Amino acid sequence: MTEKPKIAIYGLGACAGCDQTVVDLNEILLQLAETVDIVLWPLAMDFKLSRIQAMQDGEVALSILSGAVINSDHHEMAALLRRKSRIVLAMGTCACFGGVPGLANFCGREEMFNQVYRDAPTVTNPDGVRPQPETDVGGRKLTLPEFSGHVFTLDQVIDTDYYLPGCPPPPALIGNAITAVLAGDLPPKGSSLAPRKALCDTCPRNSRKPGRMDIRYFRRIHEVDADPDECFLAAGIVCLGPATRSGCGEACIRINVPCRGCFGPVPGGVGSAPKFLSTLTSLLTVERDDEIEEAIDSLPDPAGYLYRFCQPSSILGRKSLREEEAEA
Amino acid sequence: MEPYDPKIVCFSCNFGWGYLSGEEALGAVISNWIPVICTGKIDTRHILKAFKAGADGVLILGCPEGHCHFQDGNYQTRKKAYLIRKVLGAFGIEPERLDMELAIDPEGKKIPQLLARMKRRLAELGPVKITGDVR
Repeated sequence: MTEKPKIAIYGLGACAGCDQTVVDLNEILLQLAETVDIVLWPLAMDFKLSRIQAMQDGEVALSILSGAVINSDHHEMAALLRRKSRIVLAMGTCACFGGVPGLANFCGREEMFNQVYRDAPTVTNPDGVRPQPETDVGGRKLTLPEFSGHVFTLDQVIDTDYYLPGCPPPPALIGNAITAVLAGDLPPKGSSLAPRKALCDTCPRNSRKPGRMDIRYFRRIHEVDADPDECFLAAGIVCLGPATRSGCGEACIRINVPCRGCFGPVPGGVGSAPKFLSTLTSLLTVERDDEIEEAIDSLPDPAGYLYRFCQPSSILGRKSLREEEAEA
Repeated sequence: MEPYDPKIVCFSCNFGWGYLSGEEALGAVISNWIPVICTGKIDTRHILKAFKAGADGVLILGCPEGHCHFQDGNYQTRKKAYLIRKVLGAFGIEPERLDMELAIDPEGKKIPQLLARMKRRLAELGPVKITGDVR
């Protein structure tokens, strides 16, 4: 009997939502378990790190890694699984573009730690305790992974073969990706295993889009009673559909919530933020300086809106620990 | 240590700035000068990439209101520049490092003066420090 291909599923700086979507494969997962050997999946089964370390290099057919790379443990596990795997798939927006944790890069390490361990209204920490990489407790040394000081995407830390964006990616796309890898039916390295169109192309509201937008100020979805069939942007509600890759099944749009951009940029763009920024301002029809300022000021935290899922992969936010990437 | 000399990337519209002097003549005296067919042609990415590549400031020279050869490219970029300034602030880049001037200067004589004025302002700010750098 030939050996079944080995698959590893691991979450780095992730919320486990991506892992949960693998669970949502339901019956497909049972069929998959017949054809592959899942050697690592902490969400669903016990595993020993030493077992992975003892494997031959390249022994694992596919590693599916979700989450951003935030601390020393993530760096080590990403490097280990890269070494042991023939194909590495970055699953989910955090692994692909940095995701919501990547917003941490908008403040430095100190500011972030102050907020999380001192200033947040829910924090009670009179002694100012901060996590330490090493602590002596009763003569024993306890260790914690150390924060990198920066949130990285997976491909800024290890060579990454394929990408599957989404927060989380829909189960169907995950199923397709795994099937494609097992069948060896893959696009060129570096491809995203998701549709290539922009979300507006598949949006059910597109037919109601006016020929010319007339936005005079921005509104947020909770401030209005949005028409469930009308184009959000036409109503001045910020929707990142024009600059975001489709493939999510319009999950947010269908529950009357505008696109926030979790699928990342359409192919060919360095991040969706600059594209969307240009789109958004071109839709504003106000003319005088004071009107322009008032209209744009009506969008609170524009950087947070535009870079919600992609700060670490953005032009200004990106940093790479890989030499060839850093030079590019 | 050498004195800090701020680097400025200057985009200017061909229809309003320096078209009588020619690109070669002006290019010889203005460094990092990028004449474009219309300021509306300047992509947000061009501005962000300039800062990423080490620019201390970006100056955009466009036509006055109502004078755009392509209807309203200057107006579109004016709106864009205002939003880009706010985004730059989030990255720790002072918004005033992106400046825009709308005027007509066929010989381009004002360009070196505007750059010198901006340099003086940038010198007070010092080099760009993007937030969230690795320790």
